[in-house]
Amino acid sequence: MIRLEQVIKLYGETTAVDGLSLEVTRGEVCVLIGPSGCGKTTTLRMVNRLIEPTSGSIFIDGEDTSRIRSEKLRQSIGYAIQSVGLFPHMTVAANIAVVPELLHWEKQSIATRTEELLGLVGLPYAEYVGKFPHQLSGGEAQRIGVARALAADPPMLLMDEPFGAVDPLTRERLQAQFVRIQQDLRKTVILVTHDLDEAIRLADRIAIMEAGRLVQHDTPETILSRPANKFVHDFVGTDRALKRLSRIGITDFVKPAVFVHVDGSVEAAILACSECSWVWVVDDANRLVGWVDRNSLSGASSVRDSVVRGDTEEIALANTATLREALSRMLGQGLRSIPVIDEGWRLAGQVELGDIETATSEARD
Amino acid sequence: MIRRLVTRDSVALTGSVIGLVSLLFGWLTLKPNRVAEGTSFGLWESAGWPVMLAMTGLWVTCLVLSLVAGKVVRKVSLGVIANLIVAVTFITVGWTSGRLLETQDAIARVSLGVGFWLTLGGAYVVVFSARQGLQERRLWRHLVSLTGVIVFIVLLTVGWFDQLSVLQEFSGRQERFLQELQKHVLLFGGSVSVGTVFGILLGIWATRSRRAERPIFFLANITQTIPSLALFGLLIAPLSALSFAVPWLRDIGIRGVGVTPAVIALVIYSLLPIVRNTYVGLRQVDVAAIDAGLGMGMTRAQVFRKIEVPLAAPLVLEGIRTASVQSVGLTTVAALIGAGGLGWFIFRGVGQQAPDLILVGAIPIIFLALLVDILMRGAVRWATPRGLREGEG
Repeated sequence: MIRLEQVIKLYGETTAVDGLSLEVTRGEVCVLIGPSGCGKTTTLRMVNRLIEPTSGSIFIDGEDTSRIRSEKLRQSIGYAIQSVGLFPHMTVAANIAVVPELLHWEKQSIATRTEELLGLVGLPYAEYVGKFPHQLSGGEAQRIGVARALAADPPMLLMDEPFGAVDPLTRERLQAQFVRIQQDLRKTVILVTHDLDEAIRLADRIAIMEAGRLVQHDTPETILSRPANKFVHDFVGTDRALKRLSRIGITDFVKPAVFVHVDGSVEAAILACSECSWVWVVDDANRLVGWVDRNSLSGASSVRDSVVRGDTEEIALANTATLREALSRMLGQGLRSIPVIDEGWRLAGQVELGDIETATSEARD
Repeated sequence: MIRRLVTRDSVALTGSVIGLVSLLFGWLTLKPNRVAEGTSFGLWESAGWPVMLAMTGLWVTCLVLSLVAGKVVRKVSLGVIANLIVAVTFITVGWTSGRLLETQDAIARVSLGVGFWLTLGGAYVVVFSARQGLQERRLWRHLVSLTGVIVFIVLLTVGWFDQLSVLQEFSGRQERFLQELQKHVLLFGGSVSVGTVFGILLGIWATRSRRAERPIFFLANITQTIPSLALFGLLIAPLSALSFAVPWLRDIGIRGVGVTPAVIALVIYSLLPIVRNTYVGLRQVDVAAIDAGLGMGMTRAQVFRKIEVPLAAPLVLEGIRTASVQSVGLTTVAALIGAGGLGWFIFRGVGQQAPDLILVGAIPIIFLALLVDILMRGAVRWATPRGLREGEG
């Protein structure tokens, strides 16, 4: 548990953090968010004493951090930052081993732990263990950064925009992976971001800061439905209902989809279309090929030739996506239902517009 | 059509032209004694027309090769021919110098002429051009660079050049030569070592303190602009005053002339490249890496040792390389204020108007500089962490 009490940080005349009190309970993800210069990063860096507060106290499990030697304190708190800061002269393995080595772990347990962590962040051990940072993509580097922060299995994690420096698609994957990892590990996490969607997706509670002060500290649902003041109201924006959809993963809304085989007979496909006039098409490996409808099938010689849309990456959704992404995909593509695929591009089912509407109305107060 | 065949290897072309022109000048000068005026002999006169024609043929081939298209094969051929020219040149001057002296008095001397030096110059311009094209062929690159040097060293050790005046100047002064060579190495090596310690400390200080940064670079830069001779001279007055005022300083060898001012001046000159590279080396370390290191619980000292030092080391060594090569040259001037070193032969040769004595100092200095350069380049490569090397992985 992390507790900040009346923490103040002054830089000369300017007040970076102004009497902040905040409590993060064990196993909780607390996202610090606010406009740039609101003091969120300063707050984060005061927790592991990279910045010393001007006044006030910070307690970890009831112990005043100013009484703990700063190196020892930091070794017990995982630390991941936007620019990752992997050591360019060290291999992936050596980077991950930094804190365990500071803690004098044995070689064998470090090796075992490295393998475990690479598995956790979804990078094949044999392929990545000997690579150097310049051989990694942005997303891979971020994952190694997270693995490095988790190396000594610290109960707490501080993350400063850990998914900030990658493209939107990679960010979405990393966020999904974070949610999955956190479900297993239940770390106490303080995460700084300026991306409200990210906050809503990852946070158990969001702490909104403005000019060094805490404006509202509550669950994403409450912040979206009952903003504490005009600042929060404006900050979360008018698309609050939409934003709430990004709290909900699509997995609960995936329904079995009707599909036909790409090399199957046209007659069978037409028959399958009897229910809703169109049907998904898959190949031998059950991978999504597109869809066919009654019009395209009429007079066609094979199912393959009558596939309407082959651009599956445009229409299909990964099973880690949220309802918000599903909705945006439907509106963008003009479809009433969207196919859902797993990691191997295999058809897993479909999400329908009607169900999203139901979910929205349930979430409304 | 012609455009595609013609390349613009202007470097090799220049070398070839120099080489062809060199054949028109005298290669050897026969002098009745050590300092007298001499008669010049062209290659065709000293070695005969067959050698002259062969050399002309080799140079014309170089010329043609520098005009036609082609990459690796062309560069390798250029390098091979240039080294062949070097070998033929060395063999010829050794052989013909003996022939010229056969009919002369014992005190007659044979010196190397303009034609010889131009030929060597032209050949190494071609070698340089060939090296540039062989970045990916390391074996060929080394062969092209070193064959001529190896031929030279072998011929030198078997006494092939003993009839040349340079070697005669040398053979009378072997003991002195070894003494001055040792002094030269000690002077530049000692100065660069001291300069390295101070340079690295100043460089670190400049990165740590905003206030120190400007004055450090101001001083390091300004000393670099003072001509070496002036700096040696400037140190004489205060140092002699000091040694007269404090007699025990004089007893331990600190005087206005000699080794003390030389070492001080050489240390000052070696500072700038080392300070600058240490500073840049430490500054270019990614701040995120340092932040991550501290954030994970490394101490400031651990961050310095495990992150900053290995990442800055190649640049620091690069600075030491620059300082070393520069110092090998500057140490020459130290002979003027009585510090000794290979410069002694140069200034003695100038004084006696004996050009071959100058060469006894100058040639080893060139070799010393090249050797230091090669060794330090190796050190830089060795110190570069695998994760930072280009073209790997």
